[in-house]
Amino acid sequence: MEPEKCGGGAGARVSTSPPRRRSQRWGLKFIVSLSINQPLPLVPANPGPELPAATDLFPLRVYEALWTKVCPGERDARARESSAWQLPGLWMPPRGADPSMGPRGEEGAGTQIAWNSDLHQLEGHLPALWMAAESGEMETPLSSEYDFSLANIGRLEAVNGLSRVQLLRPGSLLKFIPEEILIHGRDFRLLRVGFEAGGLEPQAFQSEPKDGVFFLPQVTMAIVQARARSSQAQQYAGITLSKAGWSSGSRKPPIPLLETSEDWETERKKQGARGWRVSTVNERFDVATSLPRYFWVPHRTLDSEIRKAFGHFHQGRGPVSVRVRRLSWHHPGGSDLLRCGGFYTASDPNKEDIRAVESMLQAGHSDVVLVDTVDELPGLADVQLAHLRLRALCLPDSSVAEDKWLSALEGTRWLDYVRSCLRKASDISVLVTSRVRSVVLQERGDRDFNGLLSSLVQLLSAPEARTLLGFQSLVQREWVAAGHPFLTRLGGTGASEEAPVFLLFLDCVWQLLQQLPAEFEFSEFFLLALHDSVRVPDTLTFLRDTPWERGKQSGQFNTYTQVYNAGYSQPPAGNSINLQLSVWDWNLRYSNEQILLFHNPGYDPEHCPDSWLPRQQPSFMVPGPPSSVWLFSRGALTPLNQLCPWRDSPSLLAVSSRWLPRPAISSESLADQEWGLPSHWGACPLPPGLLLPGYLGPQIRLWRRCYLRGRPEIQMGLSAPTISDLQDELAHLQELLKKWTPRISPEGHSKKRDPDTILSQSR
Amino acid sequence: MVAVTLVPDPVALIKLHVDMLQNMILSSVVSLLLVQEIHTNEKEVTEKEVTLHLLPGEQLLCEANTVLKCVQEDSCQRGIYGRLVCTDFKIAFLGDDESALDNDETQFKNKVIGENDITLHCVDQIYGVFDEKKKTLFGQLKKYPEKLIIHCKDLRVFHFCLRYTKEEEVKRIVSGIIHHTQSPKLLKRLFLFSYAAAAQNSTAADPKNHTVMFDTLKDWCWELERTKGNVKFKAVSINEGYRVCERLPAYFVVPTPLPEEDVSRFQGHGIPIWCWSCHNGCALLKMSALPKEQDDGILQVQKNFLDGIYKTIHRPPYEIVKTEDLSSNFLSLQEIQTAYSKFKQLFLIAPDFLTIFPFFSDNSTEFWDTDIKWFSLLESSSWLDIIRRCLKKAIEIAECLEAQNVNILLLEENASDLCCLISSLVQVMMDPHCRTRFGFQSLVQKEWIMGGHCFLDRCNHLRQSDKEEVPVFLLFLDCVWQLVHQHPPAFEFTETYLTVLSDSLYIPIFSTFFFNSPHQKDGNVGRESQDTQSKPLNLLTVWDWSVQFEPKAQTLLRNPLYVEKPKLDKGQRKGMHCKHQRQLSLPLTQSKSSPKRGFFREETDHLIKNLLGKRISKLINSSEELQDNFREFYESWHSKPTNYHGLLLPHIEGPEIKVWAQRYLRWIPEAQILGGGRVATMNKLLEMMEEVQCLQEKIEEKHHSQEALQAEATSLLRNSVRLSSLFPFALLQRHSSKPVLPTSGWKALGDEEDLAKREDEFVDLGDV
Repeated sequence: MEPEKCGGGAGARVSTSPPRRRSQRWGLKFIVSLSINQPLPLVPANPGPELPAATDLFPLRVYEALWTKVCPGERDARARESSAWQLPGLWMPPRGADPSMGPRGEEGAGTQIAWNSDLHQLEGHLPALWMAAESGEMETPLSSEYDFSLANIGRLEAVNGLSRVQLLRPGSLLKFIPEEILIHGRDFRLLRVGFEAGGLEPQAFQSEPKDGVFFLPQVTMAIVQARARSSQAQQYAGITLSKAGWSSGSRKPPIPLLETSEDWETERKKQGARGWRVSTVNERFDVATSLPRYFWVPHRTLDSEIRKAFGHFHQGRGPVSVRVRRLSWHHPGGSDLLRCGGFYTASDPNKEDIRAVESMLQAGHSDVVLVDTVDELPGLADVQLAHLRLRALCLPDSSVAEDKWLSALEGTRWLDYVRSCLRKASDISVLVTSRVRSVVLQERGDRDFNGLLSSLVQLLSAPEARTLLGFQSLVQREWVAAGHPFLTRLGGTGASEEAPVFLLFLDCVWQLLQQLPAEFEFSEFFLLALHDSVRVPDTLTFLRDTPWERGKQSGQFNTYTQVYNAGYSQPPAGNSINLQLSVWDWNLRYSNEQILLFHNPGYDPEHCPDSWLPRQQPSFMVPGPPSSVWLFSRGALTPLNQLCPWRDSPSLLAVSSRWLPRPAISSESLADQEWGLPSHWGACPLPPGLLLPGYLGPQIRLWRRCYLRGRPEIQMGLSAPTISDLQDELAHLQELLKKWTPRISPEGHSKKRDPDTILSQSR
Repeated sequence: MVAVTLVPDPVALIKLHVDMLQNMILSSVVSLLLVQEIHTNEKEVTEKEVTLHLLPGEQLLCEANTVLKCVQEDSCQRGIYGRLVCTDFKIAFLGDDESALDNDETQFKNKVIGENDITLHCVDQIYGVFDEKKKTLFGQLKKYPEKLIIHCKDLRVFHFCLRYTKEEEVKRIVSGIIHHTQSPKLLKRLFLFSYAAAAQNSTAADPKNHTVMFDTLKDWCWELERTKGNVKFKAVSINEGYRVCERLPAYFVVPTPLPEEDVSRFQGHGIPIWCWSCHNGCALLKMSALPKEQDDGILQVQKNFLDGIYKTIHRPPYEIVKTEDLSSNFLSLQEIQTAYSKFKQLFLIAPDFLTIFPFFSDNSTEFWDTDIKWFSLLESSSWLDIIRRCLKKAIEIAECLEAQNVNILLLEENASDLCCLISSLVQVMMDPHCRTRFGFQSLVQKEWIMGGHCFLDRCNHLRQSDKEEVPVFLLFLDCVWQLVHQHPPAFEFTETYLTVLSDSLYIPIFSTFFFNSPHQKDGNVGRESQDTQSKPLNLLTVWDWSVQFEPKAQTLLRNPLYVEKPKLDKGQRKGMHCKHQRQLSLPLTQSKSSPKRGFFREETDHLIKNLLGKRISKLINSSEELQDNFREFYESWHSKPTNYHGLLLPHIEGPEIKVWAQRYLRWIPEAQILGGGRVATMNKLLEMMEEVQCLQEKIEEKHHSQEALQAEATSLLRNSVRLSSLFPFALLQRHSSKPVLPTSGWKALGDEEDLAKREDEFVDLGDV
């Protein structure tokens, strides 16, 4: 149980002198803490009083207080008040105005905490740079904007004076005593940690800690080394564990993690998908390891057929229903959205197989639209390049002149990619909403842009996906369970296939959010939190490439792996967490106050899914032409002779569909045809629940609060009393009123702002 | 030529046309369903009589029937048949476009200018289409186009197809429109005067209008007192009756010790004229440069004169004067003109006519192509950069006044273009009064109207010289918009207010923007000449918003987020407003310290200096010292909580200067987001505001006069199902944005030949 010695404090000396100026009252106390990866202690089956208190598990970290000059202090105070967490629609009370807060940093003055483990053992998690002023909440180690997980550190620079800048790499030696270290986060943050005299004292040069006290150079190098050694694949479980123990008892995941067939069944019923059933054919991951253990298939299709049919798809990823039942605008209907991998053209299927494949793609509909997913979307390498360029542009010291900024932004092409995703998603949602049909998203691997598109389409056409819980389930289903290779795509494996498709998706969602602020229950803050969580290795959600690996790690199906995957090494059973912690357990990383901010106060409850009950029978829908098959590509529908490539013509997707140029201008809106009332459209509202985003040049914007976080002018924030500000005032007034006239209970107009009601009311 | 200049008896003419109207059943409005016969909807074929509404004094000049106005609705092209008329006030299209507009959404309708009305002054360019080629139309035409395209200055684009109109009518309407919009005009022939003459009795001054007009000595004294400038400056009436100078207003303010005879020495040139006083006593002055002379003798005289002037204003009690020469080292009017004409092209997008007129495809594709190049096109127009430079200059001046305690003297040739722009920007930033609606209106009145900005020339209202047309005032509004956008709670007015104000520039029933100087105005309304039989004309001012908008619509001009300056002396209220006081009334402390001790705590803090300096220095091309001061001032202000009732500085970094979407994008249907945009949250906001007010009232048990107003605004938004992001403007267009999915061969079930056939059909149908 006793955790290994580890962790590190830094900074030899903390300024004990009182603040010299008023501004220094805002100087922040920073604790540099480093912690190492622990062999995981087993959690007692019944975590009772024996379980150490949460803080007891934290000798992992040794704190050292430092007066810093991370940005000049004044700005810090301001930044904390009004920057990263103050988003449109969000508000935190201006703490800077509260004088009681100021000098708290002094408490730590002069403290020296030794750290007695070997630096070289440093591995794993957090050089969390931790704001002491807020450190009352030790439970949420990465909750402050100054917290960085190791995986998030993109570049480390030591700086001395104006000119001396050294890029730190593992093994490199410091050529000078740094005054400051700059930590460039891969999530667009920049952390500057400054040191006062402590870092400059002569003993700082000593490679061995003197009296167990470490100094800046050592800390700096420790961070570098720790960063080098940590890989994202490692999960740091210490905190997770402590949190788990801390919030002990039988706990349910906040949203269904879709790891059991019951979850899938519940979800299916919720969506009202009658023609579908949960297939257990992949229960042992022998059809495809990248597919979830369970998925939905058409009711009539037999498991044996599925097994056969899936063999004809790339990596065995056959059509899987992602969403069932849509409503059209005035007749209840039920289109299906399916996703599948590319056809595996080298195979030679027999007639029954083809029939099986076809019937699965048709999913009981006569009208099938095959969507070539990658068409018009950027490639993986493009996305990665754009993201790198964007990051370079958004650095605080980027050398782009102000008047050239816009063209530089354009040059990254990131926004252009966001636009193409939104455009395509909006097109597909029209296809899905307008007629009863089956829309099949086809991508070679079925693991990247299929997920992006299907999630966007669902956000656009299903109001329940726009709620806080609904969105989390959506991500869990379309990304996590569907086997998006998070680890590879986020650069965790060091493989060349790094491409932040998921971050691209989050940007698309942000665009929707800023275009349609009343339609989403979650806020920009929530998206930021999700954006940042991607690199926090405390849960497995984003740490694995496939559901199989994730399950293997958490040890939930040991029995199967032993039997059926004998070739694979047996997972270390003792190392399993088996707690089913996921990224959706927000209270691992965020405080309750922060979780409250996940809620978009501008959300209009009129758009709540309750008022939008699913009606299932497609009987009133406009029937498609008999057995029509279409290819949707380059923004246009083209009739196809057949669904499968094997019969008499070469493969559909093997032959690139780029032969169809996108018409420069529309001749006719598809929506007009789909709903059949072209000239009356203007007078009619859109089909209930359907959103159509704008994707013109001026409408696609830069997610400034995310990408420009490193720049002071953004941190300074554009504060404005917003809706939540008003909400606060409302609450305040109601309280006052209650106090004064206790009999009148004011109408509870303001929402219950309780994190439990927001997050944990699952199902 | 049937052209239109001679009008017999207006009354008879109107009567004639009214009769005509009554007798005429307007050509039925047929929706042109170009591709899909099956979708032809019977309801569309309704017959409706639309009458032309004429303002008092407005005369119908010419008209044409069966004109097809092409509408792009839902990317489905159709045309509406109707009547195109041209009066001496506007070009109007009368068609059955209003059928769907009879609900709450139309409450923001302009009472003067309808949806299909273009005032003659609003017309920017007219193009004609001849044999599939687009040409600019001007002067006498030999050949008449089959299609008329009108680009408006408020960025609307109209397409009128004249193919089905009688040839004679085409000739009459086209030459009439061209004549009345393009040819030079005499000031006396502005519609303004006929309107004022006809509507003499109906106009009464709005009693609630508190805008200070600055046309009396009292107004100037009031302003001096308000800004506490009356210690060192005095209002003079030496120019009463414009005896001294026609460029100056009748009353203005000069430094107290300045001898009055100096004013007349160079006809008001070379005189420091007071604009505004800062709370610390520093003043913003302006001066029009002395005429350029070759003769050494005269130059010497000028020099001596200026020396004398400078001596006067350099001596205590005046602070040191720093001169900002806006004629050199700053923007030129030419630059502004070029930038704006490039910039506006980005938004002048023709409706989508591919199917009707395939030859327009070049235009339309351009638009789609611009998406990818949007940012670089935007940048290459450099309009945003010009905005940035104006804002930066204003910040620099604010820094001098606020932090360095020096007076600023703005110098420009006539002191009526950039002087107006910069001095009013500085005041918007520094004087919270100028951020209220009446304060802002008074500011425009003081700096622009009385400051003698040549609206007539700069807007080219009389079509006399295209060279003089420079959108300086629009630039000012755009700069203010940046501030409004960045600090919404600091302003009592909304961006909608700015947008409608910019539209009002082209409505010639208001006198405000139709004169070059107060002298010109007074000389033309007969205020000077006593002998005329009638009393002086009573011209409307644009500040009387009730002329254009119903009270309900006017609520959209008022910012619900604006927090009035808290009044500390009201005991009970204090409790109510404690929150706002905490947030909004933090003391303004940063500027009192000496500029050398700034924001950076220590000299050793090089890195940050370096990082910030690198970026800021790009903004600055002036001297090192100035750069330091500016940077410190700018950074330190932005590092502190914003006091909305104090100094207000904009962000001017690259990503922070934005496109005024409401003004520039509102007529582009594709740019709409149905149910989106800021208006989506506005509803919620107003609801909560209402509730806050209600609760406050309960607690206070006092009556709140504002309640009724707020409730109205709420209902205005509540009633409409889903507003578009470009509310309140886009509604009038009734467009919805829908995905544009060309479906080559949607109908054709899989046959390539069929596909080709259908494409032929497309073209054929277009000719129907």
